Amino acid sequence: MLTRIVRTKAEKGHHVRNQTVKAAVLVAGALLLAACGTNKTESGSGGGNNNQSCDQSKGTLVIGVIAPQSGGLSALGLGIKNSASLAADQANEKCVVPGYKLQVQTEDDQATAQVGAQAATRLSSNANVVGVVGTLNSSVAQSVQPILKGKNIVQVSPANTNPSLTRGAEYGTAPKRQFETYFRVCATDDLQGPFAAKYLVGKAGKKSIAIITDGKTYGEGLAAEFKKQAEKDGAKIVATAKVGEKDTDFSGVIGTISGSKPDAVYYGGEYPQAGPLSKQLKDAGLDIPVMGGDGIYDGKYIELGGKEGDLATSVGAPTDTLETAKAFVSAYKAKAYKDDFSAYGAFSYDATNAIIGALAKTLSGGDWSDAKRADLIKNVQSYSAEGATGEVKFDEYGDSTNKLLTVYKVSGGKWVADETGTFGG
Amino acid sequence: MATLLQQLINGLVLGGLIALIALGYTMVYGIIQLINFAHGEVFMVGGFASLATYRYFLPPSWRSDWWLALPLMAIGGAVVAVVLAVVMERFAYRPLRNAPRLAPLITALGVSVILKEVVRLGYPGATAPVPFPRAFVDQQYRFEFFDGTVSIGSTAILMIVVSIIGAIVLQTYISRSRMGRAMRATAQDPDTARLMGVNPNRTIVLTFTIGGALAGLAGVLYGIHITNVDTEVGFLYGIFAFTAAVLGGVGSIKGAVIGGFAIGLIKTLSGQYFPGGTQYDLVWIFVLLIVVLVFRPQGLFGEPERVRA
Amino acid sequence: MKEWNEYPDGWVWLGQILLVGAGIAAVVLLVRLLWRVATPYLAERPALDRPLGIAGGVVAIIGALLPWVTFVLNDGPYPDKATLQFFDSPWALSGFRLHTLIIGVLAIAVVFLPLPRRRVLRALGWGSIGIALVNILFPIIDGGGFGAITSDGESFAFGGIATLIAAVLLVFAAKAGGVLEPIPHWKSAVPTLVAYAVLVVSFVVLLLVVAMLLNSGGQGGVGNPYAGPIFLSLLAFLAGVLGALHAIGLTTWISALSDKHKWFSVIVLLVVALALPFTEAGTDYWMTTAANIGVYAATAIGLNIVVGLAGLLDLGYVAFLGIGAFVAANFSGAAAAAVGIELPFVVAALIAAVVAGIFGAVVGSPTLRVRGDYLAIVTLAFGEIFKKAAQNNIGGLTGGANAIPNVPPVSAFGQPFDQPLTIGSVELPSGVLYYVLIIVLVALVMVVFANLKNARIGRAWIAIREDEDAARAMGIKTGQAKILAFLIGAMLAGLAGAVFAHKTSTVAYDSFQFIESVTLLAAVILGGMGSIPGAVLGAALLLVLPEKLREFADYRLMLFGLALVLIMRFRPQGLVPDRHRRAELANEGAEGVPIEELNVHDDTPGDSKAVTR
Repeated sequence: MLTRIVRTKAEKGHHVRNQTVKAAVLVAGALLLAACGTNKTESGSGGGNNNQSCDQSKGTLVIGVIAPQSGGLSALGLGIKNSASLAADQANEKCVVPGYKLQVQTEDDQATAQVGAQAATRLSSNANVVGVVGTLNSSVAQSVQPILKGKNIVQVSPANTNPSLTRGAEYGTAPKRQFETYFRVCATDDLQGPFAAKYLVGKAGKKSIAIITDGKTYGEGLAAEFKKQAEKDGAKIVATAKVGEKDTDFSGVIGTISGSKPDAVYYGGEYPQAGPLSKQLKDAGLDIPVMGGDGIYDGKYIELGGKEGDLATSVGAPTDTLETAKAFVSAYKAKAYKDDFSAYGAFSYDATNAIIGALAKTLSGGDWSDAKRADLIKNVQSYSAEGATGEVKFDEYGDSTNKLLTVYKVSGGKWVADETGTFGG
Repeated sequence: MATLLQQLINGLVLGGLIALIALGYTMVYGIIQLINFAHGEVFMVGGFASLATYRYFLPPSWRSDWWLALPLMAIGGAVVAVVLAVVMERFAYRPLRNAPRLAPLITALGVSVILKEVVRLGYPGATAPVPFPRAFVDQQYRFEFFDGTVSIGSTAILMIVVSIIGAIVLQTYISRSRMGRAMRATAQDPDTARLMGVNPNRTIVLTFTIGGALAGLAGVLYGIHITNVDTEVGFLYGIFAFTAAVLGGVGSIKGAVIGGFAIGLIKTLSGQYFPGGTQYDLVWIFVLLIVVLVFRPQGLFGEPERVRA
Repeated sequence: MKEWNEYPDGWVWLGQILLVGAGIAAVVLLVRLLWRVATPYLAERPALDRPLGIAGGVVAIIGALLPWVTFVLNDGPYPDKATLQFFDSPWALSGFRLHTLIIGVLAIAVVFLPLPRRRVLRALGWGSIGIALVNILFPIIDGGGFGAITSDGESFAFGGIATLIAAVLLVFAAKAGGVLEPIPHWKSAVPTLVAYAVLVVSFVVLLLVVAMLLNSGGQGGVGNPYAGPIFLSLLAFLAGVLGALHAIGLTTWISALSDKHKWFSVIVLLVVALALPFTEAGTDYWMTTAANIGVYAATAIGLNIVVGLAGLLDLGYVAFLGIGAFVAANFSGAAAAAVGIELPFVVAALIAAVVAGIFGAVVGSPTLRVRGDYLAIVTLAFGEIFKKAAQNNIGGLTGGANAIPNVPPVSAFGQPFDQPLTIGSVELPSGVLYYVLIIVLVALVMVVFANLKNARIGRAWIAIREDEDAARAMGIKTGQAKILAFLIGAMLAGLAGAVFAHKTSTVAYDSFQFIESVTLLAAVILGGMGSIPGAVLGAALLLVLPEKLREFADYRLMLFGLALVLIMRFRPQGLVPDRHRRAELANEGAEGVPIEELNVHDDTPGDSKAVTR
């Protein structure tokens, strides 16, 4: 079975010595050749620098993005990534930060806390990372916050709506700032939920409401705040139900609420489930409006089955009245990204611009160093500008001061602004 | 009463879908003792393929006639699902026929991840659910029943009918036809079957073909019933179907169908009547499963596990 | 945006897919044809190994010196001066070009040495195939097209193709004569001091290689868009070199030595692991990742008891990690904790382990009646029930959708574990203390595992795995033994969960999804069932690979799936198979030599291999 090459002993010994020497010389020579030598540099310039009109001599500064890039939530995550890139590209074209080129580095968090923590650590160990835009999920934010705080890196979230991230567990009664590095541009649940309740109970006059949630942080928080206000305003919550996180057939859930004859449904969750839910409600004979938060304010909601008369709240003034919003939408379209900007694209754009704007002010022509981080945080805190979602400004907890909310209604196959206002408490 | 009837109908529709997918699980398991975790993804791909058939291949003038569009979509979905299932068998599972028992299981999980990601990255707009056409075959029927209205859609009826017919045809085929006998023989004892002139590879490919076709069909029915499809559904319904197959006893056609309907019914009824409501419906399914398995370890209709040499 | 739902776009698209498919099929068929023709031809001509080896070596050296990429790619210049022309700077090769050069030189050298040259050439050949493919495919896919690696009209770059040809020559050289030489057996009876020295040196080299691998391509990100291919290419090179070392019998010798001096090896390994923070991989990032690996490795070892030893398939194992994490979080003094008491970490960790263990026994109890794959679904069901319960904030203990945030870091002697540590003048990265903690934990878990495995109960588990009825007939109390397996496995996972809670600083139900259970199971199987180093290696690979492949963000999950499929295809017994299982599972002889290499060649899997199941 095993063959061997048979040689006479003498022959073998002779060969061995000879060859060993030869081989040794060869190896040594080659290693020598490889080790020493001239250092001729590569010709040709680096790619990607399409715009040389700005001074970018001082190098590259990085804005990190932490959001899901693969798996089920990637539609939202990719929108966040693209919108952040858009803001950075625009800043590069307009030379907003003289001397530096801005680049976005996106890290996938797979929508889980531990991968998010790794992503944050990776970004935070890069001295050129000035700030981080993210995260999408509140639970990921919880693990990212302390890591970025440890390195004094500013974080602006486009999508975390859990009020306790900024004001602590007792956010309603004894708010306390949790992380001075953490900011967000989106509205918290305790604004959006009550605002929706006021509209649905007060203006639309719905008195028996069913609440359906998807069991995730965003939907649960929003629905809880909605419920508090709705009950205060005299509506009756006739049924509550939860859909499975990945469920698509809601007939069972609809069956459980239909007995209590609600005249409206408040849905705490996002559009991929809300759209089909609205359609299946109608199919089951419950032709009542579905209302949700900014998670369902998306064109896809209507494509997926959102019906006429459905409602959604979203932060800021109506997008079609806001010049900045229109500019964002057309700039995004012009870039021809593969994915839609989705529910949080505009927020991500604003968050990135807040970091860039504060960075420009911090540096004001100077050089970036770790020592500048404290100033950068201060400048984000005092940042104020008109963004794609309206005014971008932060209060003493790091929340957006933009308490302006708009109710949109599906009408003629489109989201149409119905009422704009602030929630007064 | 109306609620009960409505929930029964809802459960049967869901159960029909689960049963169609569970058939593929149970057949593959019966013949090569492989939990084909990627089978749920075959179902998902079938849904996408039928949608692609409609969107990209049917001339616009054909799209509005459901009697023309629907069969073509079903064919498109089933063909892609079958090709996928057979390719999967040939290149992922066959080389592992004699590997340690867990190796093909991990391969199946790997294939499942790959399929999900390929569709997500490759199909336009598949990062979010993709809407299905719903202009056709979407008729709702409503009728009064004691204290309320009960509604059922045409697609829901189609789902129940197709799954039952599918199961009957399959059962007849397996018990009557020559190839069916070959399949049963291979499942019982591959070596003896080979001696008797059965080509095991061909039989296994046939099993995957049938399973794939049923999953593809389930994909189409799912799409027109739910009116959207996304990359996550394969996993969700795959787990349901796998549970149904185990509940009914893996390897048993009858078991898979009854298991499927049982799970559909428990999901809707427990959401309605059990404490905790819809948030715990999944829990009740699994509790039932565990109880059944403790008292009948081989499932409702399974044969007691033989000792394998 | 392009209008995409228009007929007849679909047919064009289908045509493209079929065309690409046909292209791939053609390449595969061509390669197979070449293989089919060349193998028997070479088998009869053993004398060809030398000329082919030399030719391969020479072509590889030429390939290393040739440019690899014709122009600067979109993301910036390809690494290691890939566009430099032939002999522009022959003495300053670095990275993959240097690796190719080294392979070429080694190939020529080995031809003249009294070594099992075909074996070495084979390893080097496959290594350079890896290097060539990575560095050919990446420039093509990165927007360069085929022009990037051939010619763009002005400049030429055939380095990649030359290296691929060289690699094929090397592999063919190994096929000459048809049979590979036996692996030389080195005497393991060496003086203890020499053995110690060899072990220390090899473990230190291992440490440096690991550090080099982790740090290859830097931290990646926008500053270094090619970190992914650099890493993969280095991996291929190292695999080739390792294969060559195995071919000359060195690795077998070292492992024999370490078997002989077991305790010494364990201590050296521990010291080496603790030295990782002092190498170039001692960054915050790698410390955090390494600590995560440790958590998963400890959990995987626990799972290994259940799956690897007792042969009970568990698809919901991450639930025990979750239970441990929630228990520890509740006793941590976090604001959202339901239990108001704050316990010292060690006490909380022990409670976590006990609670997880109790749940383990409960989940294990259906095993008294349910067997095989039916058990798998029961465990899967338990995993899902746990997730649902945690999501619905059962008993107010899990925080529900809000999770339990702000779990304080572990601290000892006034030093919080998430802060950088300064010892004297050396500043160590933050996370290093967690790393040390987890190393200690993994070591502890390994000791537990090793002792159990060789004890009476371990033999009972293995007996149950092999044949439950026979085991029962031999007087083993199978029910007790199986529940004990679940209990102990779950306790280890619960212990790891306690560290997880503090390290991640938040415990949310969505950290414990089905895919995590799959990852754990894959780690066990990938490493080799029942093998201790296997579980650690598997966990390390499954966590390091996604981190190193972050550059391919969109494709990460897909590559993970592909890796699972390929590894199961080519090494179903795992990377470090347990010695006892090697013979039964992998068609390998007792010495670890694949039977295939003992010339019992069988090309038709599924036909006649006698394998015990």
